[in-house]
Amino acid sequence: MRNALAIARKELSIYFSTPWAYVIFTGMVGISAFFFLGNIANFKDAQMYARIYGWARIPPELKNLTDGVIVPLWDVIAVIVIFAGPFLSMRLFAEEKRNRTFELLMTAPVRPWEIVLGKYLGGVGIISATLGLTLVFPLTLSLFGASESGSALEWRTVGLGFAGLLLWGATAMAVGMFLSSLTESQALAAFLTFIVLLAWFVLRFLAPGAEEPWRGVINYLSFGGQLSTLFRGVLELKALVFFGSVIVLSFLLTHRTVELQRWA
Amino acid sequence: MTAMIEVTGLSKRYRDRIAVEELTFTVPEGEILGFLGPNGAGKSTTMKILTGYLPATSGTVKVAGFDVFEEPYEVKRRIGYLPETPPLYPEMTVRGYLRFVASIKGVRRGQMATELERVSHATGVADVMDRLIQNLSKGYRQRVGVAQALLASPPVLILDEPTEGLDPSQRAEVRQLVKGLAGKHTVILSTHLLSEVTMTCERVLILNQGRMVAFDEIRNLAHALGQGDQTSLEDIFLKLTAAA
Repeated sequence: MRNALAIARKELSIYFSTPWAYVIFTGMVGISAFFFLGNIANFKDAQMYARIYGWARIPPELKNLTDGVIVPLWDVIAVIVIFAGPFLSMRLFAEEKRNRTFELLMTAPVRPWEIVLGKYLGGVGIISATLGLTLVFPLTLSLFGASESGSALEWRTVGLGFAGLLLWGATAMAVGMFLSSLTESQALAAFLTFIVLLAWFVLRFLAPGAEEPWRGVINYLSFGGQLSTLFRGVLELKALVFFGSVIVLSFLLTHRTVELQRWA
Repeated sequence: MTAMIEVTGLSKRYRDRIAVEELTFTVPEGEILGFLGPNGAGKSTTMKILTGYLPATSGTVKVAGFDVFEEPYEVKRRIGYLPETPPLYPEMTVRGYLRFVASIKGVRRGQMATELERVSHATGVADVMDRLIQNLSKGYRQRVGVAQALLASPPVLILDEPTEGLDPSQRAEVRQLVKGLAGKHTVILSTHLLSEVTMTCERVLILNQGRMVAFDEIRNLAHALGQGDQTSLEDIFLKLTAAA
């Protein structure tokens, strides 16, 4: 465990000493700010509309800031992760192999699972930092927004949604780490991860056209469906189990790949 | 003297290409063994197998009595290794890098500062500790690579061309350093520079096309080839490797 933490610390220090992390941070905040402002404009329009034609005429989710602004923002950020995640995970193993530093890790008294865990913790750290920056949006709302019934935001829903986002980020990093362990090329690792996440994302568009029981299976497997319940403030065990299994599976596959080195 | 490194019948094949064939030798504790051979002779491959990075196709390797394949962890704890390309992270400072390697080699936090001090002075990198590795000259990078291998004082050191890329005076320093390791450490040193071996090692192992063509003390080799003590290692080397 001590070794895993040392490796995680090293990963983070390298992330923060390259321009990559800052480019991703800027992209994440920039793009989500754009959607945040759009959501607020929508919300304002709905309020105006409600005053003229009455509250009954507007969709229920536009009646409060949490459901009207933050929940749709989480949906967008989950999609941004599909683009940002691969650039953060691509270097985890591929860079070590290309740099020949993998030889150092593999000949040091460190067990393969410690290498994988350390790498993964580093990856989760950097994606959490990236996602953590987007907390600025709900914080801004709670500072400047107001509501007749106390807090402008429903923090329980916001918090659960953000936790869902972190879980999704951690899952994307796990998949990216595995694909990065298969190649020496960071570009290839990023591309493969992007393809896998994108395919996973579009899966939910197949569901409406499918027959049962396939529709149920597709809905269960699509991450968007699993996430949307969390984003709306509903804690479901099945979503945790779902993402947890993908993380554990990716971890085991990465461990296998690293171990395989000894048998090559 | 007990054998620190025991290699028996070691072979490595990549599909139909033979990299190392039927290599058998032992290195007693505290000795410095020179590994010689033309490029592609199998020196680096052998070293990678000794450190547990690559698996052998057949044969066994024991370090301090532990089988590399059966108990890799025990072996790795006892080996300091400098691969042919120093395994450096260009984005890190020398200090950050050495601290990281020391921590995965099990150096405790309390001894960290003393250990970094010792190693950086021994390899002459003390004055570049806070510079980024990517900004260092080749000679310094190579020395950081050696420093990394020395961390935690492992009983066995495997150095793949430690003097590569150094200028003559730096080479002399590293040579002195390696010489000073004899007795306390068991060292396997590979090099292209024949003069290096004559100056630092008692015994040499010469590889050619994956096979061992000589394994003896330098002066015995000269005698065996029917020449006097005047024969340089260069002559022996050329003679042995030309035969194949």
